[in-house]
Amino acid sequence: MSTGWLEMIFAFAKIGAASFGGGWTIVGIIHASVVGSGWLSQAEFADVVAIAQVTPGPVALNTATLVGFRLHGPLGAVVATASVVAAPLALSFIVAVAAHAKLRDGGKLNEALKTGTIGLLAMTLWGLLPRLYESWPAALASAFAFVAVTRTKINPLWIILGSAAIGAVGRLAFG
Amino acid sequence: MKRFVKRASSMDELTSVGRDARGAAPEAKRPSPAEIFWLFCRISAVTIGGGYVMVPVIQRSVERKGWLDESSFYELFATTQGLPGPLALNVACFIGARLRGPAGFAAGALGILLPPFAAIVVVAAVLHRIADFPLARGFLDGAYAVVPGLVAALLFNMIKKKRWSKRRVAAAVIGAVALIASGAWAVPVFFAVVALARLAEGRAPGASVGRSRP
Repeated sequence: MSTGWLEMIFAFAKIGAASFGGGWTIVGIIHASVVGSGWLSQAEFADVVAIAQVTPGPVALNTATLVGFRLHGPLGAVVATASVVAAPLALSFIVAVAAHAKLRDGGKLNEALKTGTIGLLAMTLWGLLPRLYESWPAALASAFAFVAVTRTKINPLWIILGSAAIGAVGRLAFG
Repeated sequence: MKRFVKRASSMDELTSVGRDARGAAPEAKRPSPAEIFWLFCRISAVTIGGGYVMVPVIQRSVERKGWLDESSFYELFATTQGLPGPLALNVACFIGARLRGPAGFAAGALGILLPPFAAIVVVAAVLHRIADFPLARGFLDGAYAVVPGLVAALLFNMIKKKRWSKRRVAAAVIGAVALIASGAWAVPVFFAVVALARLAEGRAPGASVGRSRP
């Protein structure tokens, strides 16, 4: 927990700059920086992600805010959030307000970004895999979530909340 | 402006709050920055589950209010896809900027950022006191248990939607392996992968223009 402020700011600014394609892609990078450098334990990070997805707002932002809070308290939460949105906000501001650009030529760059995003998702998934052979209920829940999301149009939120409810009841019943 | 509806489990109910009684006018309206802030604040406060859930809610809300029509929304959404940052945040900023310039941009950003921030700080402050209660412990473990499945589903859907060529497959496989091996170097490696994938697109006629719709 002896992470310096500058290290944290730099890490989240970097993560923000690479945050293409929505929340789950960058959870993997946050995991690599935060657990990889020993700022949080694997178990602490799991709690952070669990909370981030059941609280309102973008998952990636919530994760950053929570990690900042864990490391440096309320001010850490403000600084981590500001760091992670700095690059996206600056770029958006330039494109949306200053340049009024449309990036319509985006075809090829967008395709390349999607390829990169697929890589990031694979990385996120890779980091999560050990979880599946550590706990068979988690593996079962994940398998169900995968089938439900790919086969139906159900809102993933219900799967998260349903699994959380089952977890709570199970823990009360079986300890 | 009506107050936030507490039991707004249905998004329809939520997004119709504050809707003009005459219905959406065909002409684009110009809301004040405060109205922009308030709309995004409400959406961000009650929408759990990240960008893929939030963006459709945002779209429906701004169309109903008559702030933007569908094609402007898609055009704007396509632009945000090429930028880093949480989807919902970028979309809100772009809508704000479209409607009210810099003030609207700031209103959109703050509207998205503030509610989750407040919620998270409250949760984080009490968490270490409640995390060891069996009920809370089980809830968090349960919520985390489905994460690998959800990420795998997202990956599966992206792979299914993408139009593949040999070069794209090669770039994606190399990229995935490189990123998995990258550890703390994930960010620079990501940009290298994007550069590689862009090179792999070559100068041949792009097959993907106009495929940015959600």
